[in-house]
Amino acid sequence: MMGNHFSLILLPTLKCNAECDYCFENKTNDCLSLEKLAVVIHKVLDHMEQNAIQSLTIHWQGGEVMTLPPTWFERAHELMQEAAQAWGKTINHCIQSNLIGYSPKWNKVLGEMFGNSVGSSLDFPNLHRRVRGCNVPDYNILWAQKVREAREAGIEVQVISIPNRKTLKIGAERFYHYFVEELQITDFQVNTPFPGGAANEAKNTLSLETKLLCQFFNELADIWMSRGYPEGVRIGPFDVLLDYFSNGTACLPCIWQKNCATEFVCIDARGYVSQCDCWVTSYPEYWFGNILECHSFSDLLRNSVVRQRFQARPGRLMQRESCIDCDYLALCHGGCPIRAYTVSSNLMAKDPYCQLYQALFRHMEKWAAHLSGLRSIQ
Amino acid sequence: MNFVTYNVPAALAETYRGRKLVVRFHDSAELQQVLLALHPDDLLYLQLLLPTTTSADLPQWGEGVPIDIVMSSPEAEFPQLYRFAELLERHPVRVSIPVVPGFSKAVKLAVALNLTVKLEVDQPKPALVEEMMQVLEYYLHHSTVTQPIDFFHNTLLAFYHKDPVTLWMIQEEDPVYFRYVTEQGEETVARRLAGTALQGECGVDEKFSQEIRAEDQECCHCEFREHCAGYFKWPRQEYSCGGVKTLFRTLQHAAGELRQDLGMYLRADLEQRP
Repeated sequence: MMGNHFSLILLPTLKCNAECDYCFENKTNDCLSLEKLAVVIHKVLDHMEQNAIQSLTIHWQGGEVMTLPPTWFERAHELMQEAAQAWGKTINHCIQSNLIGYSPKWNKVLGEMFGNSVGSSLDFPNLHRRVRGCNVPDYNILWAQKVREAREAGIEVQVISIPNRKTLKIGAERFYHYFVEELQITDFQVNTPFPGGAANEAKNTLSLETKLLCQFFNELADIWMSRGYPEGVRIGPFDVLLDYFSNGTACLPCIWQKNCATEFVCIDARGYVSQCDCWVTSYPEYWFGNILECHSFSDLLRNSVVRQRFQARPGRLMQRESCIDCDYLALCHGGCPIRAYTVSSNLMAKDPYCQLYQALFRHMEKWAAHLSGLRSIQ
Repeated sequence: MNFVTYNVPAALAETYRGRKLVVRFHDSAELQQVLLALHPDDLLYLQLLLPTTTSADLPQWGEGVPIDIVMSSPEAEFPQLYRFAELLERHPVRVSIPVVPGFSKAVKLAVALNLTVKLEVDQPKPALVEEMMQVLEYYLHHSTVTQPIDFFHNTLLAFYHKDPVTLWMIQEEDPVYFRYVTEQGEETVARRLAGTALQGECGVDEKFSQEIRAEDQECCHCEFREHCAGYFKWPRQEYSCGGVKTLFRTLQHAAGELRQDLGMYLRADLEQRP
């Protein structure tokens, strides 16, 4: 956000073709028109100009982005390019999709706008993801088929996966085998679940026993280090932690940024601005404002009392929680605000996965030391 | 050529125009008024004095000019470092932290935010030496520390390279190279020594160490005199250095270990070459 780069999570639609029980977004039928998109991008670029920011990365998410037609994105891309040129700025694009709506009609825009790369999501075993009107088991079959088609068209697919109770039961070996050896996914990230949005029965089951979760992550890391890492497979967050402990720098995920409130914001299809996709779709009391209604996006961000609370969060955690005494303070800074809020109803609490993170940091630190030892004797 | 850098209050920056400067700002209004009149080439760095200045006050100015955040009450002020860390996108940023009880929290957070640290130390009591020792262990051995913490860092390098660099130089208080100008315009050695009169352009060895050698037996026999040069004997020469010597000893030992480890690595590397 500050400095020479601005990151924006943009939700051009809040519609979705899936009905996943554990989704943290409250879906609506709202879509961003191209006319309103032009207004949004003008105000974002004006904000960048006022703050001497040169480049912008837009993370396109939904709802489900592929419920919009590919022609909408083609026109959006043209609009963005024209605006970027007029303001002398650079805009890069990333896309996150469930790929259920993928067809070869998407290939042109995926190539030209997104560099033939798509982020997607899949769980194993799948307990919660379902296509609208279909059963849970059908989802993974349909998804795998779409991924095959996309790959045949030269599109790279990265995957985010959320473990559940059954994942912990089948264990890391089976999980790794499914993604890497069965689906041949070579770039994926394992995230942690949280009960965001309106409460339901499925969300009540998301909480996982910390000891089992630590064991799962550490075993998965060991499998990756012994089989995947030498073959160039990347699994997040193990890969970035290994980079960090080996080289001192790494591109850490948003949950471990020093302050996510200074790194990015999210705008939804109605123009509402908040910290990220969960906040903007499910917690109206945490909106910073509406970009379509404001005169200046810079003023909106600067004057938002809600955003000031997000900005103050890491500093408050250092005073109120045990984070300042943590060996891994440089890596975490108290973790993710949405995970804290959805579990404890308190924005100023530390991330409930603190113990998992510490176990993981310690584990990957040992692996980095081990690798370093191997290199020095080779 | 004049090599002296003057640490001046913003109100006197105009008076010292054309010399190498450290300009210190006490409050936001001063910052807005004076900053745009300064030339980045004249500046060694800017000092923002807490608690009155905030990072939000700094205009889009002088990209690349180093900034030194000077804390006054680190245990209370350390959460503010999150806001100052945003300056890293456009400036090298250092935090000067006074060695007072609880200072180690500020050091830990500064380092975690990739800010370099300078400890502002005078004559620490045993409890503070203990806290400094914990910070030194953290600096030497903690895997997430990637930034220098001075005076530890440059003293370690001095031991490692066997360079006779003194604390006066590391702490930017050697009067041959640095002068501190008080709010009243009086030139002195350093903030901690405000009121100490300067006599010509004498160096530490000529002025301070002579007096110490003459008057203090502890310095005469001190194994670290080459690196300390009586730094801890000012302003009160009766200060007992037993505690701070443990810091020097630890740094000396670490430098020896580092030299030994690198030597072993280089020998192994050479032996493996065809």
